[in-house]
Amino acid sequence: MSMPPGAGSYTCPYCRIPSDGGGGTCPRCGAPVDIRLRATKSGWAEQPPIRDMARIHFNRSTCQISGAYVPVAEMNLHPEDWVYFSHHVLLHTDPNTRLEALQMGGGWNRVLAGMPMVMMKAQGPGHIAFSADHPGETLAIPLQHNQAVDVVEHRFLVATGNVTYRWERSGIWFTTQNGDEQEWHYPLGQMMDRFTAQGGPGLLLLHGPGNTFIRDLAQGERILVQPSGLIWKDPTVRMHLHIEYPRGQYWFSSARWQAKSLWLTLTGPGRVAVQSVFERPEMVGSIVQSSGATTQYW
Amino acid sequence: MDRIECQWCKAQNEPARTSCTTCGAPLDKKNLVSDSGWSEAPRLRDMTEFRFSNSTCQIEGEIVPVAEIALAHGDSVFFEHHVLLWKEPGVPMSAMNTGGGMKRTIGGMPHVISIAHGPGRIAFSRDATGEVVVLPLHPSMELDVREHAFLAGTHSLNYSFIRIKGLANVLHGGSGMYMDRFVTHNEPGLLLLHGYGNVFQKTLQPGEKILVEPGGFLYKDSTVTMNTVQQNVKTGLMRHGMYLAEMNGPGRVGIQSMYVHHGSE
Repeated sequence: MSMPPGAGSYTCPYCRIPSDGGGGTCPRCGAPVDIRLRATKSGWAEQPPIRDMARIHFNRSTCQISGAYVPVAEMNLHPEDWVYFSHHVLLHTDPNTRLEALQMGGGWNRVLAGMPMVMMKAQGPGHIAFSADHPGETLAIPLQHNQAVDVVEHRFLVATGNVTYRWERSGIWFTTQNGDEQEWHYPLGQMMDRFTAQGGPGLLLLHGPGNTFIRDLAQGERILVQPSGLIWKDPTVRMHLHIEYPRGQYWFSSARWQAKSLWLTLTGPGRVAVQSVFERPEMVGSIVQSSGATTQYW
Repeated sequence: MDRIECQWCKAQNEPARTSCTTCGAPLDKKNLVSDSGWSEAPRLRDMTEFRFSNSTCQIEGEIVPVAEIALAHGDSVFFEHHVLLWKEPGVPMSAMNTGGGMKRTIGGMPHVISIAHGPGRIAFSRDATGEVVVLPLHPSMELDVREHAFLAGTHSLNYSFIRIKGLANVLHGGSGMYMDRFVTHNEPGLLLLHGYGNVFQKTLQPGEKILVEPGGFLYKDSTVTMNTVQQNVKTGLMRHGMYLAEMNGPGRVGIQSMYVHHGSE
């Protein structure tokens, strides 16, 4: 399917925001406008990397993406604009850009979940740049007023000041029993971030290790993904665990002991994005408890 | 006859060339500079070849690039032994005594710098995704490089190391206790670095300042002073202070986009 820029009306296939499409890249998310939508036969669209030095416009400021392996997002902040970020991702800044701490509530929960307790705020005017610590892609997600996305923890890079940030339990967990040992597992992390634009359009930047693929799930459509491969989803997409037990021939490959596959079921409607780099969940012993899950014995 | 000037190293090249003979930078591509003045290090094309002295260097691969050097008789390169990928059996090796043994041990730097002598082929690479940055050095140039970041230097370079001054700089600077210093005296030399992720360079004017995450620092001209400055921001559970490296011009500063964050977990 191709999406050529129309005469004065072009809708970006990735962020779905209309523009004139004349600049070579979408002014809202940086995706190239003059290439074919590269969709796999199964319906995943490969998110094209933002072109080197492409500019994304937000509020009265711009964000320029540079580099190919570990891209840098460099912002030219207008005096009235501000962004927030975790201090780990700051790469360089003008001395005149004002940096402040942005206190977050729920401190202990955040610490226990391995999330930063303090976010930082950068107030324009000035240049400030951010990068992550894995080879991958910078994802720009423009949000319209009141639009929200759910993001897996540690994928957040930076957001504009009018994007609210709250976190809630992912609700995806299971426990394993191995002898007397019981272990809790959170394949998506204990918490999940929700970002919502308030009072106007906002911009959210994420970093996806490896390559990124997105797809639209229709109402009731389901797809199984590796839990640690999920980057973000629309809030309308529901999730639950799915555990598969392949059929075994011998007693030691019986359903109780044999290797099992743990999946995250995503149910539409809405968009989901996955990354090509993921970690397989480590499971020793049998699963004895879990959040709502479906099971399949083959 | 018209010549093409390389935008990266300023060397003059014949008009027909598509890559610089001195540093390998593409000559048919515009230098990419961000709005705030950071230039991307040239992305060396796979199999790009360039020369130093009577030897040649070829860059292979793009994700974790390999620098393969065909050493001519009388030429040599020095390197830290852990970056050696392969070599021909007949390439003679020797060791450079760096001096300052105990200081280097404390600073976590290798005691011995290895030297490979021509003739023969030898190749180097590092351990993560990144870019090879080729920095030709002319007589009287002095370059300071983050420890363990250099891939190889040619025989005409003088290698030493300098202590990072100031306890705050050592404790919070994220660059360790020492930096490698490379100087040329009589003839030009070539320094190959490996930067994690992507590499960017900015030339600071006299008195111009920029704040850089210390883990992102890669190299600087010795004319650039580096001080660790505490920001009025507390981070983390133990309310650590946040430190950034303040680079003060004049001179070049190089940074890498993928780094280990130090100090304020």
